[in-house]
Amino acid sequence: MIECTHVYKRYKNGVNALYDINLKIDQGEFVYIIGPTGSGKSTLIKLLDGEEIPTKGVVNVVGINVGRLRHGKVPVYRRNIGVVFQDYRLLPAKTVFENIAYALEVINMKKDLIRRRVRAVINLVGLDDKGNAFPSELSGGQQQRVAIARAIANRPKVLIADEPTGNLDPAMSDEIMSLLEKINAAYGTTILMVTHDLTLVNKHRKRTIVLEHGHIVADLAEGGYVQHDQ
Amino acid sequence: MISRIWRPIKEGFRGLIRHGATAVSSMFAVTITLIIISLFLIFTWNIRQFTRGIEEGVLRIAVLVDYDYEAAEEEDRISLAIKEIDGVSAVNFSSKEEEFQYYIDSFSDEKTKQAFEPFRSSNPMHDAFYVEVKQGSDIQAIAAKISEMEGVYKVNFGGTSAVSLVNALRTVRTVGGVIAAALSILAIFLIQNTIKLTISTRADEIAIMRNVGAKNGFIRAPFVVEGALIGALGALIPIALTWYGYTYLYRATGGYVISNMFTLMPPNPFIRYVSLALLAIGVLVGLLGSFFSVSRYLRWKR
Repeated sequence: MIECTHVYKRYKNGVNALYDINLKIDQGEFVYIIGPTGSGKSTLIKLLDGEEIPTKGVVNVVGINVGRLRHGKVPVYRRNIGVVFQDYRLLPAKTVFENIAYALEVINMKKDLIRRRVRAVINLVGLDDKGNAFPSELSGGQQQRVAIARAIANRPKVLIADEPTGNLDPAMSDEIMSLLEKINAAYGTTILMVTHDLTLVNKHRKRTIVLEHGHIVADLAEGGYVQHDQ
Repeated sequence: MISRIWRPIKEGFRGLIRHGATAVSSMFAVTITLIIISLFLIFTWNIRQFTRGIEEGVLRIAVLVDYDYEAAEEEDRISLAIKEIDGVSAVNFSSKEEEFQYYIDSFSDEKTKQAFEPFRSSNPMHDAFYVEVKQGSDIQAIAAKISEMEGVYKVNFGGTSAVSLVNALRTVRTVGGVIAAALSILAIFLIQNTIKLTISTRADEIAIMRNVGAKNGFIRAPFVVEGALIGALGALIPIALTWYGYTYLYRATGGYVISNMFTLMPPNPFIRYVSLALLAIGVLVGLLGSFFSVSRYLRWKR
């Protein structure tokens, strides 16, 4: 599903963000990427969603060599992956329903199908009564639920969550984790979650990849405990 | 298919309402530029009108035929010879009876007209040819050639100073046109900058659109519609000013500036054309300005 082979990334300003990254994530897996600030987590996410191209090596997601994608093909590629960010990134002038529907409008889905699909995901994330609300009228946890609903609306094979609980309190974080686990189980969606929250990682144990200074320093199988100094 | 066309239009209108403040500043830029363009359009179109009127009189040579050469075959010979001269575009015949009538008609009061009537039977006028020339610079040489022809009594033309005036007005007309075109390009830059500002405030929105897999065309279309709307709305005040301002000017001056030689274009259909031109320039400028700025922004984002 996701495969990185000898991937290096060096930015134009000379910063080396990733060195010889090799990893393989199978379909339906739920994997954490952890590591301190500057360890290369965000760069890895950018390589996976096609925002950046590797300096060396091959990044393969859902059978597509992302690094060799032409500029014009990137948007179509992104329809295969859902991305959730720490800051939710919702369109402030659109309602919850419109925000989720937008991800389906861009792929020219029929209106009645969009309506059904949006209602289904709103129900899945537990926001049935918030369809007409604007993002500013929701709590952080609710906004993140909308972002997750939008990311999974077109049933992507991969969901990348970049610090999805970064702005939330522990109770809310737990709720979001439960929701992601529910999606992983219900749709078989491969989930890659970047996080700083080691308490969460130890509570909801999954396969965990540890990055440091651009290197993979550990790849712990599901059930492994992560030390707090890592 | 319909929703593909309808969506950007709907989104364009929504965008305009949601980003009211930046839209108003863009509209203001269009309004100011279009007012200046409108003044130039009115100015250059009227100059064109003046020059055309003057050209008709100036780029024409009146050739008077000698009384002894008024036979049809002689006049045909003279007409042919004139037509063969390089730089002559047309030769029109006017009989001495027609010339007499023109002369009488040039007086406005009836008394004077009546005073000339007794001379109609002993008409002192000459048969004449009116020779149109292609270029004012050739008029002197052509007049000289015609005056040497057998059977030509006299030639008259406006003189070199009149030709210089036409050339000067032509230059003014060209310069006016160039300034109007330059202002349109300037307007595109102004719109581009204001839309660029709008885009930078909406960079997050565009980033989200890209994240959910929107193609460039899908992102660009509502911005382009919004730009065209800004252009169209920005043209409203200049159109109103042109419409009422020019009608007022025409009424106040009686349609003449300085002398009878400089007649203003009648408001109808002139102001309709100017208004349409302003609307078209506004829409085009808004459309192109937003298209260029969104495209440039999208080109650098993967």
